[in-house]
Amino acid sequence: MTSRRRGRALVLRWAGGLLAVALIVQTVLTGAAPGARAEGSYVTISGSGSTWSQNAVEAWRRNVEQFGMTVNFAGNGSSRGRAEFREGTVDFGVSEIPYGIRDGNNEDPPPSRAYAYMPIVAGGTSIMYNLTIGAQRVTNLRLSGATIARIFTGQITHWNDPAIREDNPQLNLPAIQIVPVVRSDGSGTSAQFTAWMVSEQTDIWNAYCAAAGRNPCTQTSNYPVLPGSAFISQSGSNGVAGYVSQAAGAITYVEYSYAINQGFPVAKVLNDAGYYIEPTPEAVAVALLRAEINDNAASVNYLTQDLTNVYRNADPRSYPISSYSYMILPTELESGFTEQKGYTLGTFAQHFLCEGQQQAPALGYSPLPINLVLAGFDQVERIPGAQDVDINVAACNNPTFSSDGDSTTNVLAENAPYPPDCDRPGSVQCSTGTGGAPGDTPPSGGAEGGGTEGGGDGGTGGGGGGDGGGGAATGADGGGGTATGTDTGGAATGTDAGGTASGTDAGGTASGAADGTDTGAPVIDPETGEVIGGDGTDAGGGQNVSAVPVSLQASSGWRFQHTLMALAGLLLLGVVIGPPLITRLLGPRNATPGRTP
Amino acid sequence: MSTTTTRVEPTSEVAEDAPRALRAATGRSDRIFRGVSRGGGIAVLAIMSLIGVFLTYRALLALREAGWSFVTTESWEPDAGEFGIAAVLVGTILIALVAISLAVPLAIGTALYISEYAPARIKPTLISMVDLMAAVPSVVYGLWGAFFLQWNVLGLSRWISTWFGWIPFLSVEGTDPRDPLATETVYTASTFIAGIVVAMMVTPIACSVMREVFSQAPAGEREGAYALGATKWGMIRSVVLPYGKGGMIGGTMLGLGRALGETIGVYMVISPIFVIQPRILESGASSVSSLIALRFGEASDFHLSALMAAGLALFLMTLVVNFAASSIIARSRSGAVSDA
Repeated sequence: MTSRRRGRALVLRWAGGLLAVALIVQTVLTGAAPGARAEGSYVTISGSGSTWSQNAVEAWRRNVEQFGMTVNFAGNGSSRGRAEFREGTVDFGVSEIPYGIRDGNNEDPPPSRAYAYMPIVAGGTSIMYNLTIGAQRVTNLRLSGATIARIFTGQITHWNDPAIREDNPQLNLPAIQIVPVVRSDGSGTSAQFTAWMVSEQTDIWNAYCAAAGRNPCTQTSNYPVLPGSAFISQSGSNGVAGYVSQAAGAITYVEYSYAINQGFPVAKVLNDAGYYIEPTPEAVAVALLRAEINDNAASVNYLTQDLTNVYRNADPRSYPISSYSYMILPTELESGFTEQKGYTLGTFAQHFLCEGQQQAPALGYSPLPINLVLAGFDQVERIPGAQDVDINVAACNNPTFSSDGDSTTNVLAENAPYPPDCDRPGSVQCSTGTGGAPGDTPPSGGAEGGGTEGGGDGGTGGGGGGDGGGGAATGADGGGGTATGTDTGGAATGTDAGGTASGTDAGGTASGAADGTDTGAPVIDPETGEVIGGDGTDAGGGQNVSAVPVSLQASSGWRFQHTLMALAGLLLLGVVIGPPLITRLLGPRNATPGRTP
Repeated sequence: MSTTTTRVEPTSEVAEDAPRALRAATGRSDRIFRGVSRGGGIAVLAIMSLIGVFLTYRALLALREAGWSFVTTESWEPDAGEFGIAAVLVGTILIALVAISLAVPLAIGTALYISEYAPARIKPTLISMVDLMAAVPSVVYGLWGAFFLQWNVLGLSRWISTWFGWIPFLSVEGTDPRDPLATETVYTASTFIAGIVVAMMVTPIACSVMREVFSQAPAGEREGAYALGATKWGMIRSVVLPYGKGGMIGGTMLGLGRALGETIGVYMVISPIFVIQPRILESGASSVSSLIALRFGEASDFHLSALMAAGLALFLMTLVVNFAASSIIARSRSGAVSDA
């Protein structure tokens, strides 16, 4: 009786369990099935790749969420994006460079699955930096191509290098170390940046590349770093941008949008027309007018870019290191790609090729011109399952489209502003901010005392090229100017003017001293009342003696806080070992057996 | 009488004195359960050996090419034929050692506090907090390490290298503590900072093992120690710690295993270099797992094979560490019943 009842209970329990399982299975199936079957609904698609264009892709991804479309994008570098698309683990890849670009001995073979390239957005690989003079953040740095290449190959190691000073006549650059920050992961940004160096700064790059043990020297996704150098490698665009935002003296190459997001300035780069240009959306659009796009629709590399003429674009408004970013689309149903995924991916692509481009300038990218948008729509149609829609491109509100629908004009580029004269090499430079740091940088050196450099050198042998910068930095232009301007040809009575200058570390008040080496008569500094210059033949090494206001990274020498530190250490030691010691000392007396009754 | 008879017959004596074969009536559920658990055990072994076989198979291409130089070469340029794991393996071990030397004291302290000192009210909260710490994804620790911790530890790194720089592995090249213009970035992205980040991930694992063992210290012995006049700390020192020694070592080794294999947290913090870099406070570090994560994306076939070989080396090392840990745990008294 009991056993039978138990048996029945067991059966009931089993049945209950089965029912529950069946219910769960049914829920799962019914939950999933309509999404997969019904026309006009979306399935989750996933992609991987470039962090260069990640900010744009993420913005578009968030846009389409409102339509119930889930697009997962993992920004883990272009190299990984291409590899994961090749392996078939993602539905689309995003990369700056196509397959088959030779990287050293690595051929980067194309995938066996069918694919096509589609440009998604344009942008400038910008030179983001973190530099302050005194307490003033520098926002108007300018760099020529050779200077950039020499910085990123370790030839220029300090900010006050003559090459950088020549680019920036009105900045009194401090003698702190440059910390170039490069990408540690396989990156399309590195590939674009090194491609530019290979093409434009060939000798500088080849020497570095050979020193790093790369053979042959090509453009590379893995930036080589020499052991023992000041270089820092970080992963991802966010990684390098985040690092630079915290490290004084650091500089990196990263897409313009990251500098904007971090609130940091980018360097204006000298173009072939002789203007220092910021990678604004307009400047990028102008530069890319000269991009040679593969227009052979039968080629696998259809729509890919050749940027050599972009680097050498002679338009004064163009930013040299501009490029397009590409999405790699599947064109066959394989590697788990389905019609539903094709439908979702197609709709997503149609969204960002059209409306999505409006957002590009605000994000720090440059929108695609109309010819590439139209070509992109044709590529989307090759995705199996993608909806065939007739899109009125004029309604996209893309800032590059002209109102008459002409597919050869790029309105954004046509209307791009011409750079002001202060962006030309010379003795003045614009003080306006760049990138995410729009604040002005007041001139901190150079121009006012501009003539001094020649004077110093031409005078006594001891002049050592003191640059009038120091004087200007403190605003004591009068002092600096007097000292250096009156070049009497060196009545030298060798006392150490250098000592005077470097001894006063009041942030550059005595900066005239170094420059004053050439005057015969003593010169009185108007601010401090000290006798400066006038007698120092051995003032030598102007850049060392002219006191430059520099934000120190740490204090040095024994200070009050060190005393406190030592005291705290002693106290801690006392607290830790004191009580046991005292217990030991008192212990035997307490423990004498005689005392217990 | 009958007993005597049996004793004189040697053959039957052997037969009768042999332990009786135990035959439990095995029901269907017993058999199913036994089958499932046996299957689970075998599957684990099979998966482990298959991973080993797979790695070896894929690594052969590179290992044949490199030979023994694979163990001695520092640089990593497989496509140029110049590659080896000397630098990355040393880097891995250094990061793991830093992590362990920070995590173990922290874990012992936490475990002792939770099991011995914490008031009963907050004990469950503390336990779940530690478990929560183990549940935080390592990418979060990586972000925290790279964007926050690193920049706040610089002062400590500078201080250590300034005052203890005479110890070779604590020195930092490329900077002069007396030079106010020297850049602080030489202290970033170092083995030390990666080690701190990994320590945060290792601590909860080690702590859980230790806490479990400490709380099992036999109550009889504890009370015995108290009865002999021991203070709380005296009791812990004479009962809990000796009893938990195996657990402490085991927890440490388990943590070490995790520290050796930690990938993404290290990947985000370090600035990878491919030379043996014994100065732990200086920027530039390397580890096998972060090397694989960094490079497998664009690897050519040969490069991939080289990465597999590096992975094999890491696999073997982790295996050895974990076996050592399990044998130490097995030999210890931890978990045994009290005779008191």
